[in-house]
Amino acid sequence: MKFLETLLNGLSAGSTYAMIALGYTMVYGIAKMLNFAHGDVIMVGGYTLFIASTMMGVSPLLALLFAIVFCALIGVTIEKLAYKPLRGASPLAVLITAIGMSKLLQSLAQIVFGSATQPVDLLDLGSVSIGSLNVSMYTVITLLCSAVIMISLSLFVKYTRTGRAMIAVSEDKSAAQLMGINVNFIITITFAIGSALAAFAGFFMVLKTFNVEPSMGAMPGIKAFTAAVIGGIGSIPGAMLGGILMGVVEAFAQTSPVMAPYTDAIEFSILIVILLVRPSGILGKKRREKV
Amino acid sequence: MKKFLAFLMAAMMVVGVFAGCAPADGGGDGEFVIGMSGPLTGAAAVYGVAVQNAAQMAVDEINAAGGLNGYKFKLVATDDQHDPTKVATNYATLLEKGVHVSLGTVTTKPGLEFKNLSKQDNLFFLTPSASGDDIPEFENGYQMCFADGDQGKVAAEYINTLGLKKIGVFFKSDDPYSDGIYKNFTANLSKDITVVETQFTDANATDFSAQISQLKDCSFIFMPIYYQPAAIFMKQAKDSMAANAIYYGCDGFDGLAGEMDLSTITQEVSMLSHFDANSTEGKAAEFIKKYTEKYDTKTLNQFGASAYDCVYALYNAMSDLIKEGKEITPDISASDLCDLLKAKFSGGFSFAEGATGSNITWYETGKVNKIATKYTLKEAN
Amino acid sequence: MMKNAKWKQYVTYLVLICCTVVFTVLGSMKQLPFSTLLQLESATIAMILAASLCLVVGFLGELSLGHAGFMCVGAFIGGKLSVILTDSGAYGGNELLIMLVCLVVGGIAAAICGVIIGLPALRLRGDYLAIVTLAFGEIVRSLFRNAPAEMFGGTLAMSTPRYDRNSLFIIGFILVLITVVIIQNFIRSKHGRAVTSIRDSEIAARATGINVTKYKLMVFTLSAFFAGIAGVLFSYSQFSVDSKKFDYNYSIQILVMVVLGGMGNIGGSLIAATAVVVLDTFLQKQLTGNLAVLKDMLYALVLIGLIVYRNAPALAGFREKVSIKNLMRNLSKHNPAKIHDDEAKWDRVPTKIHIDEVLSVDVQSKSPYTPDKQWKEEE
Repeated sequence: MKFLETLLNGLSAGSTYAMIALGYTMVYGIAKMLNFAHGDVIMVGGYTLFIASTMMGVSPLLALLFAIVFCALIGVTIEKLAYKPLRGASPLAVLITAIGMSKLLQSLAQIVFGSATQPVDLLDLGSVSIGSLNVSMYTVITLLCSAVIMISLSLFVKYTRTGRAMIAVSEDKSAAQLMGINVNFIITITFAIGSALAAFAGFFMVLKTFNVEPSMGAMPGIKAFTAAVIGGIGSIPGAMLGGILMGVVEAFAQTSPVMAPYTDAIEFSILIVILLVRPSGILGKKRREKV
Repeated sequence: MKKFLAFLMAAMMVVGVFAGCAPADGGGDGEFVIGMSGPLTGAAAVYGVAVQNAAQMAVDEINAAGGLNGYKFKLVATDDQHDPTKVATNYATLLEKGVHVSLGTVTTKPGLEFKNLSKQDNLFFLTPSASGDDIPEFENGYQMCFADGDQGKVAAEYINTLGLKKIGVFFKSDDPYSDGIYKNFTANLSKDITVVETQFTDANATDFSAQISQLKDCSFIFMPIYYQPAAIFMKQAKDSMAANAIYYGCDGFDGLAGEMDLSTITQEVSMLSHFDANSTEGKAAEFIKKYTEKYDTKTLNQFGASAYDCVYALYNAMSDLIKEGKEITPDISASDLCDLLKAKFSGGFSFAEGATGSNITWYETGKVNKIATKYTLKEAN
Repeated sequence: MMKNAKWKQYVTYLVLICCTVVFTVLGSMKQLPFSTLLQLESATIAMILAASLCLVVGFLGELSLGHAGFMCVGAFIGGKLSVILTDSGAYGGNELLIMLVCLVVGGIAAAICGVIIGLPALRLRGDYLAIVTLAFGEIVRSLFRNAPAEMFGGTLAMSTPRYDRNSLFIIGFILVLITVVIIQNFIRSKHGRAVTSIRDSEIAARATGINVTKYKLMVFTLSAFFAGIAGVLFSYSQFSVDSKKFDYNYSIQILVMVVLGGMGNIGGSLIAATAVVVLDTFLQKQLTGNLAVLKDMLYALVLIGLIVYRNAPALAGFREKVSIKNLMRNLSKHNPAKIHDDEAKWDRVPTKIHIDEVLSVDVQSKSPYTPDKQWKEEE
């Protein structure tokens, strides 16, 4: 029973990681860059929820909608301002800019809202009992929501024109352009979707912690980023797998007194081990390098 | 290009030197300077700001009442952001401002730097809240708060009397405060009690469902942690935990009522502390009233109360010394004052009435001797 | 020309030696206030860190986000050793001697970690390597934090002996000098050229018979060694070492120094490191309350602005126009070659053979993608 509960907790935490990891992986697939600032878009989402829910008193679902729209806008703005001018520059330069962007968002939040935590009481979720198993509604909701989101995302990518265009751009940018695909538009769309997913992740995190703070997205961001790399960056199922794996490992590590202090170390060691065995991640495609 | 850069570098160095050469505006203005270093910004800012506000309040009161023998006090607060590497710079600033006596640091880790720095110059400090066991290691350091080890011991002794079979512990393993209390707690806990131990770190401080599922069967949970994660834990555990379970914390729980609405949970919440933010009588209530009139109630906590007491304790000790015929004016060197204060504090000085206790005395080790009270923040429904 | 170039090489050393002498004299005359001494110590530590990270980021072209991790190893291992040696009264209690031993041991310990992290680095590149180094930094920190309290202080910081503050900065300057001499000579050697060729094109480097594995490992080890030394120096400048200091934010701060200094420019990194330390202390005093964050925002904005300005393909023409280097070249009679901007400009390295500079310019200007009319007219 303990095992099952821990597993469920892990799955629930993992689906939040998966949601963030999807953002990383989609942007990587299309724009070939690690958007280090993605974790901080979660924080932006969190603060939007704070403004909408705590300060304006909007209903939680409407607040979530605000957060999604605002995060998508922020994501697109970041892309236009910081990443677009660097398209074609060295990957190192783009990565450093992304790191700078992450710091910029954090410090902006700190200037505007202060460094203390701000309370956000969104929903009061109870728990349900299935037999002797006591599951909190939070777990049920996150699992359901993320399952729906992931399935619809997969369908979107597979069956819509835009989604197929995304695949095309991720395969070969210049060929896609030759086929009449508007690459700039696709990149914008990708950032918007990724950031909207970050808003969802922010929503789940706030549901869990009931507050927001400027660095709330940093550590989950890095862990989700690790999860995306473990799963094979650029691969959507890989991000889901990596995220879930991360959450489950975290949950089990934390329930063992011996391993609990080393939780972070264990999570990061998995990354190193997996990359040593399979440098492109579990489900990642091997890319042959062209000269 | 290189030449240009080289000149720039040289220029920068020179600027650096002169920036540091600012003339020291020492205590020659006829004021006693009280220095402190604390997290005025950053994640732990609420503690630093509380100490700064309360100490300033005490200083203003003393000055309004005529100061010490006609000499005014002045508080110099520096910001360390809870980062030990910033303490040395702050300490240098304090020296430049001609500090006479100090409140040390607000938090423990920076305090480890401060105690060594102040030992070199023989500067007396009475810290309101750096509760590490090693903080008063040297002769010039004293604490107004309970040391972590003592808190753990007292908590364990209390729990031993309850006759429980099994208790849960939830602590933060990368925090010296939490870890320090926990270690002494387990060392002093009766061997008949089974302990379910759970922990978390900074990197995992948002989702406690794994820990909650482990602690579910415990009706008594000892939580030597600060109030922010405690609030998250209680909210997340609201439904899973037994409705009449008891959450028992140390002085870090102070501030909990401001962080969350305790009536939304059914469990009992109590803490072992020297100050209760809901106190209605005595010096504590007086302090609370004055503080809330002047400052944001969000920063009202035991750190502030303790700092308020620190300033008054220093003031009382110094006026006692003057009454004993010692000559104390702002011209006195920090080292001479330190020697006098050391003798005073280790020689049975008693601080009669403060916001955090009465008849407070100090051991020669620098640790405080006062009564810890169990405050019930909320009864079980 | 030749004379001029040779002189240029030694400017960094000269400035460093001047600084050392000036500050030593001032220090021995007790003319330096405490706060300046502290700034000098921090500056020397930052300079060593920046110079060593510059080697990886600027010359090997790989992003390391775990530099603070190597420093952490040095600080804890070296610091612990210094505690043991001081307590046991080894070397007749000679502090300087103990410190030297600790510096070497701390450096070597970090270098071993450099090898360990360099091994996966052989299989990974770019973003993947960045995340692995970040993970490594966090793992190291976690291990030291969870080690028994008697060994490395546990959650509480580990107490270390502090070196006399009136002379630590002199040792710091000497160490910076040693670091810079070794790194610059490494870069100017044939090994250094091999390393930069790996950065410019790993496949081409491999094709020309360069042992990529060996050189990558070499760079990681060397860089980690100096980061470890900086760590030991750090532990000597503090009374206690706390693992929290070495989180990835600190790694990023070192990266900021390298980027500000112009990646691939050791002298620039040194200046940027000093500037960041001086600015940091200055702003720490000036900004209070929520405004204290303005400092972080400033760094972030400068970082983004600088990178976009120096690397944006669209700004290439503009950069050429306002380049100080070109301005100076136009003023000087001897300079036949005008430096043309391309995306790899910041990582172009002056090598021992000065003809290289001219060659690389020629190759670049003939790039079919960016015909440059202005240049042709001048010709």
